Amino acid sequence: MRIPILKLHDYLLISVQVELDDQTALQFQEDVLEKIHEEGSRGVVIDLTSVDMIDSFIAKVLGDVVDMSNLMGARVVLTGIQPAVAITLIDMGIVLDDVPTALDLEQGLDRLQLELED
Amino acid sequence: MNSVIKDMVLEHKEDITDSWLKEISKFRSDDMLQNISDKMYENTNLEFVNILILTVQKTNEELEHDELIQFVEKLIQIGWPLNYITRGLQEFRKACVEIISNREENSHNNLEFFKKIEDWIDDIVNLLVTQYSGSWENTVFLQKMALKELSAPLIPVFENISVMPLIGTIDTERAKLIMENLLEGVIEHRSQVVLIDITGVPVVDTMVAHHIIQASEAVRLVGAKCILVGIRPEIAQTIVNLGIDLGKFPTKSTLKKGIESALELTQREIVELKK
Repeated sequence: MRIPILKLHDYLLISVQVELDDQTALQFQEDVLEKIHEEGSRGVVIDLTSVDMIDSFIAKVLGDVVDMSNLMGARVVLTGIQPAVAITLIDMGIVLDDVPTALDLEQGLDRLQLELED
Repeated sequence: MNSVIKDMVLEHKEDITDSWLKEISKFRSDDMLQNISDKMYENTNLEFVNILILTVQKTNEELEHDELIQFVEKLIQIGWPLNYITRGLQEFRKACVEIISNREENSHNNLEFFKKIEDWIDDIVNLLVTQYSGSWENTVFLQKMALKELSAPLIPVFENISVMPLIGTIDTERAKLIMENLLEGVIEHRSQVVLIDITGVPVVDTMVAHHIIQASEAVRLVGAKCILVGIRPEIAQTIVNLGIDLGKFPTKSTLKKGIESALELTQREIVELKK
C-alpha cells in the first residue's frame, strides 16, 4: 500500500486516506524523502484528517519524516489531527514538539507560507 | 406474615401506638425537627405508626407498593431526616416486643417470637433506607450532571478565536472533559487561537498544571494555539514555587491582554473609530 504524494508548485501535498501500518509508514517515509529530492520541494503538508488511530511507532515515523525533511530543506506541516488522536498521543507522552500543525489543509498551506517567509 | 404475631399486634394496637408516640416525642429536639409545628408533627407521627401497624398484615411484595412508600416519599420531599425513620422504627420494635411480651403469657421469652418481630421490622427498615438513599443518589446524580453541563464551555468570541473560562476546582474527570470539549470545539469553530481563562480556578497545583499543559499540547496537535490567561499573582507564585515549567506556551495576566495577543496572532487588531 503506497500513499500518493501530489506536487503543487514548490509544495508536496499528502493526504493519508488509509490506516497506517508499520510497513506503509516506512514506505511512506522513503517515498516522501525521495520525492523531495526529486522535485526540490520547499514545503510539505501531511493531512491526517481521515486517520483515526496513531500508535507510538507511527508517531515516531511521522516525527522522523518531519526531522528528515527539515534536514533536506523542506518544512513540514501536519494538518487535521483528530481530537481522539491528539488525546491518545498526549496520553502516550508523545508531544511532537517541534512539528508545526494546522487545523486543515487550507490553514496548513498558510502556515507553510508563514514558516517559509521566516 | 405470621398470623400469631399479626393477631397479637392488631390486638394491642392502641397500647403500641401510645407507647411509641411517647417515646418518639423524646427525640424531637435532636432530630432537627423543632421548626415543624406541633400539630403537623403529631399528625405525621400518628400516620406513620398507623401505617406501620398495618404492614403486619402484608407480604413483602405488597410492601413495595404500600402506602408506606408513599408516606416516606412525602417525608423525603419535605426534607425530614432519615434519622426520624430509623429511630421511629427502632422505638416501634421496642414497643411491640415490650407490650406483647408483657400482655401475652405464652409468648414470654420465646426466641421464635422475637425473631418474627425482628424480621418484620428489619424488612421495613431496609425498604425505607433504600428509598431514602435512592433519593439521595438521584439528587447527587442530577447535581453532577448540572455541574458537568457548566463544566467546560468553549465560547467563540471572534472568528478563529475561542475562549474557555474555567471556574472551580479541576479534578481528573473534569480535566478529561475540558480536553474533549476543547478539541471538539476547536474543530467545530475552526479556531486558530484558544484562550484558557483560569481566573476562576482557586488552586493551581502540579496536577492541575499538568492537565492544562496536556490540554494545550493536544490543542497544538490539532492545529491551534493555546494561550493561558487569567494568571493571578498568587497563582504565578505557586506555579514558580512548585517548579512547574509553563515556558513552552504563552501566558497572559488577563483575558483582555490574551485577546489582544490572539488578534495579533491572526493578523488583526482592535482600532478606535474616529468621529
